[in-house]
Amino acid sequence: MIEAVDLMKRYGDYEAVKGVSFTVGTGRIVGLLGPNGAGKTTVMRILTGYHWPSAGSATLDGFDIVENPFEVKRRVGYLPENAPLYPDLTVSEFLSFAASSRGLEGASGKEAVGKSVEACGLATVFHVPIEKLSKGFRQRVGLAQAILHDPDILILDEPTSGLDPNQILEIRALIRALGEKKTVILCTHILQEAEALCADVLIMNEGRIVAAGATGTIGDALKGEERFELTLKADAGRVRSAFSSLRAVRPTGDIENAGPGAVRIRLAAPLSLAAKDGYQGGPAEDVFDWAVSGGFKILEMRRECLSLEEIFVKLTTEEKQP
Amino acid sequence: MKRILSIVRREMTSYANSPAAYIFVLFFLVFCSVWFFFVRNFFARGDVSLREFFAVMPAVFTILVPALTMRLWAEEKRQGTYELLATMPFSEGELVAGKFMATMTLIAMATALTLPVPLLVSMFGQIDPGQVAGEYLGVLFMAAACASVGQFVSSAAGNQISAFIFTALALLCLTLLNQLNVWLSLPAPVANALNYASINFHFESFVSGVVDTRDVGYFSLLSVLFLYLTAKELKMRKWR
Repeated sequence: MIEAVDLMKRYGDYEAVKGVSFTVGTGRIVGLLGPNGAGKTTVMRILTGYHWPSAGSATLDGFDIVENPFEVKRRVGYLPENAPLYPDLTVSEFLSFAASSRGLEGASGKEAVGKSVEACGLATVFHVPIEKLSKGFRQRVGLAQAILHDPDILILDEPTSGLDPNQILEIRALIRALGEKKTVILCTHILQEAEALCADVLIMNEGRIVAAGATGTIGDALKGEERFELTLKADAGRVRSAFSSLRAVRPTGDIENAGPGAVRIRLAAPLSLAAKDGYQGGPAEDVFDWAVSGGFKILEMRRECLSLEEIFVKLTTEEKQP
Repeated sequence: MKRILSIVRREMTSYANSPAAYIFVLFFLVFCSVWFFFVRNFFARGDVSLREFFAVMPAVFTILVPALTMRLWAEEKRQGTYELLATMPFSEGELVAGKFMATMTLIAMATALTLPVPLLVSMFGQIDPGQVAGEYLGVLFMAAACASVGQFVSSAAGNQISAFIFTALALLCLTLLNQLNVWLSLPAPVANALNYASINFHFESFVSGVVDTRDVGYFSLLSVLFLYLTAKELKMRKWR
């Protein structure tokens, strides 16, 4: 459980985070998205006790980050950006240091190291100095260090950067499994990753949260309208003349040719439609009824969803305009 | 305490993996021995005393201790591993104490390796074991003060090279402060103050075999002060 209230962070004159509030429940994986310099890393550094906030507060599992940093740090596993490690130590030396720093000595330390080595696939490089490892392996050592003490809260800054596609899938599966019991904040640039892993997303831009919500529905508010793409078995001229009988839904764009005797059209309806008086059904039913009444056979009908990528671009570029 | 020991272990592993530590031990042993036996010509002097051997140590530490302490925090900053350390359940005091103890362990090991020198000297005549013990104690106290100053500079400096240069400069000033009294005739209170602030002045009484609480106090104060300042510096980073 993570609760952040009005977090602010100033570096000199530069305000990196300008009042960020959010809650992350146990058993949730929350994606923290945003362009470079949006303040994501700063938020993570505040939550892990690396920096104090300039204003605002945050509690992790009920412990305040400033009042009780020690309890917070015990409960958090943190993978910083770029997975900083001691290059001169071997994986084994490094992980036993991480274990003993968490109070895991002797047999319990060995067991913890063994488990996270297995989970992160590090057995083959266990006695190799970290400086000789590839970026992918280093990233996994960083992750192994973060999950070593079985923390309740995991804060991961770009956990899959530098990994190859197979490793990415493995690590994602690991994070997904961890996310079932723990509170996970995942900071990422890779939007598909957030879509694949996160129940909720927070999108940050210029130090503020510009959107927050469930990964599936976060786009609805932004779209402003519901959009449909239809492929009809019909003549373009007849379809065009039938447009006039559309009521709430309106066509957008041109009629495209989609093979012999078929056309593709796009229709849009405002989202607020359903709330209006006397409006029955939904725009999808409207579209269907309209096609039937015109005598057009529907070959394909698709509701367009705004992908996280579109939402991201929309939010983080529009904000910049004065 | 267990957490401090885990820091000590990690630092010792890094020392064991780095050439700097071996160079430190080797240079320390070779330089002190060559200085004592050949430059100051122990065998020709016919004076069975270890004074000359210990008297050179402040100068040696001025150059060698910065080489050991320069990487302590500057390297953590460069590698980004400070973020890792700072987010593990350590207090700043534990981090500072762990690193200090690691440096001191290495210096104590190097110092212990000079024990053959007094043994050799004792074959040529009578030396006072109590005096030698006092001299060694002085070396450790002085090393503690130097290591603390070095650790503080490393935490404040941007990189290893500037940490080395500034630590060496600071130690040089502290060591040579009482030399001003040799060159200038200053009013007594100023001269005393300069003497009191000088590493050399306090170490000289250890060299003559006197363990004075004032000297012990001076080195302890210096050590505690700079270790405290280091922990303070680390805490300040959270606000930046």
